[in-house]
Amino acid sequence: MTDTRLMHTVGARALEWLWAHRDGFRLEPDVDPEVGFLERFKPVGELALICRVLFREGVAGSRQAELARKLLDHTWRHTLDGGRMLVRGQRIEPLSPIPFEVYLPYKELGYSEPEVERATVLYHRLDSWAALELDPTRRLGLSAFQRRFGLTPRMPETDIVGSTWLGRTPEPWTVSGHIAYDVTHTVFHLTDWGEHPDGLPPDIADYLATWLPVWIDDWLDLERWDLLGELLVVDACLPRPTLDERAWQGFAAAQQADGAMPAVRTMPEGEPDELFDMIYHPTLVAAFASVLATSRALSELTHAAS
Amino acid sequence: MEQSGTSTLLQGAVQDIASDVVSALRGGDHVRMSGTGAADDPEGHFALAAVRVLGADLLLPHVLFPTPPAPEALAVFRNTVEAFPPRADAAPTVRWSHWAMRRTLSRFDASSSGPLAGDEDAEPDAAWLDAATWQVLTHQLAVLAPLAVPGDDCAVARAARRRPVDVARGFVRAVRRRDWQQAAGAGRWLTLTEGVPDELGLEAGLDFVELMGGNDPRVALQVQAARVMRAAGALV
Repeated sequence: MTDTRLMHTVGARALEWLWAHRDGFRLEPDVDPEVGFLERFKPVGELALICRVLFREGVAGSRQAELARKLLDHTWRHTLDGGRMLVRGQRIEPLSPIPFEVYLPYKELGYSEPEVERATVLYHRLDSWAALELDPTRRLGLSAFQRRFGLTPRMPETDIVGSTWLGRTPEPWTVSGHIAYDVTHTVFHLTDWGEHPDGLPPDIADYLATWLPVWIDDWLDLERWDLLGELLVVDACLPRPTLDERAWQGFAAAQQADGAMPAVRTMPEGEPDELFDMIYHPTLVAAFASVLATSRALSELTHAAS
Repeated sequence: MEQSGTSTLLQGAVQDIASDVVSALRGGDHVRMSGTGAADDPEGHFALAAVRVLGADLLLPHVLFPTPPAPEALAVFRNTVEAFPPRADAAPTVRWSHWAMRRTLSRFDASSSGPLAGDEDAEPDAAWLDAATWQVLTHQLAVLAPLAVPGDDCAVARAARRRPVDVARGFVRAVRRRDWQQAAGAGRWLTLTEGVPDELGLEAGLDFVELMGGNDPRVALQVQAARVMRAAGALV
């Protein structure tokens, strides 16, 4: 098993980078409507989700917790303009689930914008919202978010799992990068982003226990750090995580001194905003993998000691 | 330059002989050994070296069907066994590969020293496989695929049988890396192994390996060997 300090340090560094580059979390209010105002919400929503995991797990040091809180405040107040940008997003594209998906983790952390909630409750009544042609993993995530919001999903999660790639537990040698991302997100949604490892149906947990080590081995050797980070999160979501030492050492070694994590191989070059867009995601994933793996490692210690 | 030319010629000879074995496995015929009579190899050096590379699989069709091999094929096989004894410091895979050839020779050659006996014919040590990671285990087993023959027990086969999930993982890894030869060799072992997870989809997996890498007769040989063993009900 990997040294807990190594896993913890990856996340601590990642948060330092995210805080130092917080201005990269930016919307484009004047964007051409054809491009879409909602395109730039994704990083903000992902940041909030992962900060929520960080608070939930309670394994972050005081410096990390402070940075996470400041990042949430910054993005809520400045990027989202206190939630009004989410309202604007809903007005531009009423049936898009994106504003609601970004809003939910903020709501769970105590932020509030009543108009987003009113609209969400209204859209939930529409057949059209239930009929949106989302791919199964995305649909699973939307239903999970609706449940967490307090709504009863029109499509129950248990009915959707079987439509996902992972839910069919298919031939593991057919996995490609795109399929692997679907796998990771299916696991995130089924476990509420690592909160409930027992949310994985036993056949899926067994399947992952058998084949995840192969995929981790492969994407480690390919130096696909973004995907490897997500697979390390999946490992930490399993009933018995491996916290694979070779993978964690390779992942930690890929991280830059300032905490940035390249998506693939080595650090790209570019203007600050371009650079942010290329590496914010692997860096967020590094923070996510770190906090979950650290938490699981500490739990193992507690079990061992008791 | 000369070395690379030699290497290319040897590879070509290996491919030719592997093609012959594939034809025999498909047709239930003798191994014709068309690859051993090349005009630019009057001394037969390449033929012996190529047979050594292919190992015991040269006579696999005669083991699986079973039929006696043609005298000339048996003679080349015997000459190869005698020409390339493993050195004292040889790697375990080399020692085992030689052992596999001696075992096959003893099956067909009345003039050989008979059933495996004595120090030279004792099984080499296989403990290194038990200590190997699943990645290394699969690689080594693929190199030793000629030992994957139904009903023929040995320490390597027992090591493979003890770790079906690890070899299945290695198969997935090899397919992901497009190492078709390793995937085909691992798949041949898995065909003989109980406890392979159903979701692996081994049969379709081997067909996929053949589709992607089957132009290489050494890949086709392993896939076809697995197919024949499965058809014969090798496992159950």
